[in-house]
Amino acid sequence: MKLAPLGFGLGLRKEHYQAILDTSPAVDWFEVLSENYLVPGGKPLYFLDAINERYPMVMHGVSLSIGNSDPLNFDYLQQLKTLSERINAHWISDHLCWSGLDGVNTHDLLPLPYTDEAVMHVATRIKQVQEFLERPLLIENVSSYISYTQSTMTEWEFLSAVAEEADCLLLLDINNIYVSSVNHEFDPLEYLKAVPKERIQQHHLAGHSDYGDYIIDTHDHDIVDSVWNLYAESVKHFGPVSAMIERDDNIPDLAVLLQEYEQMKQVSASVLGDASSVNTEEAENV
Amino acid sequence: MSELLNLQRSMMQWLLTEKGDIETKVVGTKKVSSEIRLGIYANAYRYRLIDALSDNYPSVHTLLGDEDFYNDGIKYIAAYPSQHFSIRYFGSQLESFLSQQHQETVVLAEMARFEWVLRNSFDAADKASLGLKALQEIAPESWAELGFTLHPSVARLDLKWNVPQLWAAIENETGQIPFEQAEYPIPWLVWRKKLKTYYRSLDVDEAWALDAVIKGHHFSEICAGVCEWIDEAYAPERVAGFISQWLEDDLIVELVI
Repeated sequence: MKLAPLGFGLGLRKEHYQAILDTSPAVDWFEVLSENYLVPGGKPLYFLDAINERYPMVMHGVSLSIGNSDPLNFDYLQQLKTLSERINAHWISDHLCWSGLDGVNTHDLLPLPYTDEAVMHVATRIKQVQEFLERPLLIENVSSYISYTQSTMTEWEFLSAVAEEADCLLLLDINNIYVSSVNHEFDPLEYLKAVPKERIQQHHLAGHSDYGDYIIDTHDHDIVDSVWNLYAESVKHFGPVSAMIERDDNIPDLAVLLQEYEQMKQVSASVLGDASSVNTEEAENV
Repeated sequence: MSELLNLQRSMMQWLLTEKGDIETKVVGTKKVSSEIRLGIYANAYRYRLIDALSDNYPSVHTLLGDEDFYNDGIKYIAAYPSQHFSIRYFGSQLESFLSQQHQETVVLAEMARFEWVLRNSFDAADKASLGLKALQEIAPESWAELGFTLHPSVARLDLKWNVPQLWAAIENETGQIPFEQAEYPIPWLVWRKKLKTYYRSLDVDEAWALDAVIKGHHFSEICAGVCEWIDEAYAPERVAGFISQWLEDDLIVELVI
């Protein structure tokens, strides 16, 4: 069921377009933010195509809103599908969340209540989306800052139930697990060990903003040691999984980000030994 | 109503108005109250949208200053909540909003119009340009009925204020320049050549000719129209000059015979 791992990736950001074309960095693949390229033309699509000639790509979206009570937006889905064909995306991912209601979009990744009703609602929609896109849809755990009184299960039980019911793959964001573990006072290792191993297709790593009593998932800082340690635990538990770094704000030069990229590879290699290099070779054969 | 829908209604009401019963549906921790937790989402909602406005309207932001831009942004969010799946289009009504909000300072709405046109030109659809050679292949007898298709990035606008000059001063950080109103609206052209967006002012007859092309008029109709400003004998040469320039600038993507 799982797809061949791609190795180690970076999020494609406009600040790095020219540096990527000039230097062809040794990055196995890029994750693109889908909505940035759902435009008619111009610079974004020009650079996307040019970089796609050299690197495999996966798509990561923020607008699917799989948990919304509004009907699915098939205009958006058609645009996603067209883009996925254009760049031959290995897979498409979005978040286990909802974003709006009655046609109003908050552009936020709002957490769902962890209930049986929400599991069935989301799973039904994931199946519809996967069928429409004709490409695997990975569902990602979000960072959250509230808990609902409605919830009847833990976040990891909810994520697992959705994945099983929808029969889909998961994008496990290591930083989001860490952020939520602080905000909701749970053990992140318990989370890691509870989710279905055979469905973990990708990891996200990112930085965040620590406000003492709570953490906000801002993607504008370097990855902290606690998240690196949790990543090492995830590699120990899940084995080789495609992993990438998300940086969305306060974006450093590509050379600086590549140092973090090397750190990601080293953390994985320190756990897996030679297995991580096998992982990369497999990616090249995909 | 399902429990999920009920919860989502409460949360939306909170985000849009900071009212309702959502506080009864969330729990806090020992360290962080439910009020603070909900506040994280309310703040994120507003700041994310105001950031998106600032990205698309950097010069409107500069002209207003941080405080007024934030205050107007809050009012804009309430008046025009986002209805598109992409945040890229959230600011589409800002010109209309500013023209109501700042009726005495028209330059703000005009700057919003200019920046939105630049933004749309930036990621307008791609079309291969024709180049000057294409004109040479047109038989002389076909010229009268010749029509033109413009590149999707081409936009025309008339501005009463020195908005493009203000925009350039802000963009290039060359220092503040005063607002100036022209006696008559100045015609401007915005377009993209390859990956770069350009703008320039137009003489009144060129602006009329370009508007006529946009309306689908033929070469002979355009020549007749520009006679309002120049002698009939020079009209074909004048219009042919416009067309050559437009071809050189990649404005024309198709000659329609």
